[in-house]
Amino acid sequence: MQSRLSAFIQVLRSHDVRVSPAETLDAMAVVAALGYAKRQQLRDGLAMSLAKTAREEAVVLRCFDLYFERQMADFKTRDTALGADFSSAQNPEQSASELSELAPNSASSERQELEQAAQHDPALEELLQSELMQHLLDNKRAELSLAIGQAAAEVGLNNIQLFTQKGQYTRRILDALGEEALRKASLSLEQADSPLLETLGSYRDKLRQQASEHVEREYLLLSEGRNRQLSDQLLSRTRLSHLENRYLQRVQELLRKMAKKLADKYSHKPRQGTRGRLDMARTLRGSIANDGLMFDTYWRRKRKDKSQILAICDVSGSVAAYAKFLLLFLYSLQDVLPKVRSFAFSSHLAEVSQLFREHSVERAIELANWRYGGATDYGASLVDFARLALDDINHSTTVIILGDARNNGGDPRLDIMQSIYQRSRRVIWLNPESRRAWGSGDSEMLRYQSACHLVAECNNLQQLERIVDQLLKQN
Amino acid sequence: MQQQHFPQLDSIERIEQGFEALGYICSPKIATAIFLAFQLRKPILVEGPPGVGKTELAKTCAELLALPLIRLQCYEGLDEAKALYEWKYGKQLLYTQVLKEKLGDLLQGAQGLAESVERLHQFSDIFYSEKFLEPRPLLKAMQQERGAVLLIDEVDKSDYEFESLLLETLSDYQVSVPEIGTIKAEVAPMVFLTSNNGRDLSDALKRRCLHLHIPFPSVELEQRIVLSRVPNIDQKLRQQLVDFVHRLRDLDLKKAPAVSETIDWARSLLLLHATQLDESLVRSTLNVLLKFEEDIQNAESDLPALLRQSKVAS
Repeated sequence: MQSRLSAFIQVLRSHDVRVSPAETLDAMAVVAALGYAKRQQLRDGLAMSLAKTAREEAVVLRCFDLYFERQMADFKTRDTALGADFSSAQNPEQSASELSELAPNSASSERQELEQAAQHDPALEELLQSELMQHLLDNKRAELSLAIGQAAAEVGLNNIQLFTQKGQYTRRILDALGEEALRKASLSLEQADSPLLETLGSYRDKLRQQASEHVEREYLLLSEGRNRQLSDQLLSRTRLSHLENRYLQRVQELLRKMAKKLADKYSHKPRQGTRGRLDMARTLRGSIANDGLMFDTYWRRKRKDKSQILAICDVSGSVAAYAKFLLLFLYSLQDVLPKVRSFAFSSHLAEVSQLFREHSVERAIELANWRYGGATDYGASLVDFARLALDDINHSTTVIILGDARNNGGDPRLDIMQSIYQRSRRVIWLNPESRRAWGSGDSEMLRYQSACHLVAECNNLQQLERIVDQLLKQN
Repeated sequence: MQQQHFPQLDSIERIEQGFEALGYICSPKIATAIFLAFQLRKPILVEGPPGVGKTELAKTCAELLALPLIRLQCYEGLDEAKALYEWKYGKQLLYTQVLKEKLGDLLQGAQGLAESVERLHQFSDIFYSEKFLEPRPLLKAMQQERGAVLLIDEVDKSDYEFESLLLETLSDYQVSVPEIGTIKAEVAPMVFLTSNNGRDLSDALKRRCLHLHIPFPSVELEQRIVLSRVPNIDQKLRQQLVDFVHRLRDLDLKKAPAVSETIDWARSLLLLHATQLDESLVRSTLNVLLKFEEDIQNAESDLPALLRQSKVAS
């Protein structure tokens, strides 16, 4: 069971649930405390110890259902109605106990008939002696399930990646199980035109179905997670302008994750009272003047830090393809951080914090694009920004500018940029154009660069993530 | 560290019964969490919307085990001086002043500075002993002889640094005081942390806890809760009001009514001698359920339809 549990945890990891070795130990302790008797309790208990968020809990529960739903079909009945058989086998509670009682009686007649026939048929004889057939006849579901699991491990089912591989793996598992003997026996029965062919055939069909179901489940469990990881990687390397709308949802999730990283960093700055602990050294020193009487007490002061982020986003035509994603990032940022003021501009600049707060992400982006889109004028926009927010910029303010710095030849108003630079703690400029294009044509990037603490090229999620990481490291 | 034995926590069924006897109806999931927390000696991190009984869970647990409940309410700026321990500075200063003359006596006859200092060293730690230590909730919980139930309420409101402070306490049930050493709990306390998801807690903290998410209860469970809390209420009215609250929760509200609000509402209806829900009654008592003017206006427009549905349902 221990290895089953750690395999289950492997599955969870591939589904984006982070499980540390310590948590694996916890899970084992949970299993030891609860026992295996009550499925529901075990399910709740594992979810509690392995999941850390509500989303992870849902994933753990779903994986638990898939992973431990290893119910074997019932091999005891003679009729070939597979469908009916399986529906009864789906019911986990009634499984183990009933079959052990019923199986020997109903199977015994079949066994006798088969044994009689085996006297004339060496292939059947061989089959009957095989372990597989014994299990099938005795209807030992637990053993069969185990055998299929072992066979699957032998053929390396956990490497399955594409759904086209399912048939191949099913075949291999059946081979590893020793299904060949079954095939040979039914072939010889067919030649002898024996009535027992049907009985044998139904066993064979059920076995096959079991194996293929096993493969199906494993595929769902294993490759789904892996494929998602793959697509996440792909998404984060694609240029934002090339991403289609239908990926917006996934991208938004990724962006949110990133914004959250940033937000966590900034929101951790504590707001504390001014009075901290007693500064003993200073109190003693102060007492010297009073002949050692500690008349005045000195307290360590705590730094008050109210960090604030101002984010400015270009939504003009030249960055139209990126604007959506930049706004998305902005939106996510404001979503996770309480003290973000967002601004959008093209020819003029306006605050969009309120807009973002009131509307859903798609609508907010649409509105911002529609209201503030147009030809770029960085100069005028900076004037607007100065009017709106320059007074609020102080040593704890971070200003993030998202834009291509293409000013259509207008006055860049570098002086405003410089006063922002001097007042703020940090000015970050993220430019969707590649570094080589900076300064070419009407780009003012190189001039603006002088008034920024950090400039970076940013046109795919990976770059954005790297910048976020860099930011976190520097502070 | 020893583990005290509580027959009340022997099995999950007994926990459920014990809680029910105290008027707290818990789902099997909650009971499993408590069972595991006790067996594995792990803290429980309880999450869920406000008013589903997170704090109540800890209180009831303390009552069930007849242990003292020690509560630490978290807020921004909470630090170790308020959570762990503090030195009694006033007492220290006072004692140094009072003992000043005594010091002269002690040092009498000492040859030179070195010897005086040497003599003083013998008493060096007097002012930093446990006598001068003011225990705050976390330390207090460790010091209880019979164990305790420690409730760290709304841990998401505290600062990031404070979380790190909690780690030692939560995983090893000990508090380190640099001047004295490590103070270890004789009996491990039962620890509950509650969070309203105000922010994401650090992974380090989450890893040390069992994660229990309490959602809004199902209709059936909530009816049992109302029955246990407001036993005198008419059965028909109870069904109606629980159903109505569930329908309210489906609306797009700023703050959905929680279990505590359902109970309050049931109590107010009982006070008003209501036997069934009618529109004017609901309209006049809606402010018990909904706490935002905007929500009340929203709900009022849907009121007739909601009432009709819940009447049909019950």
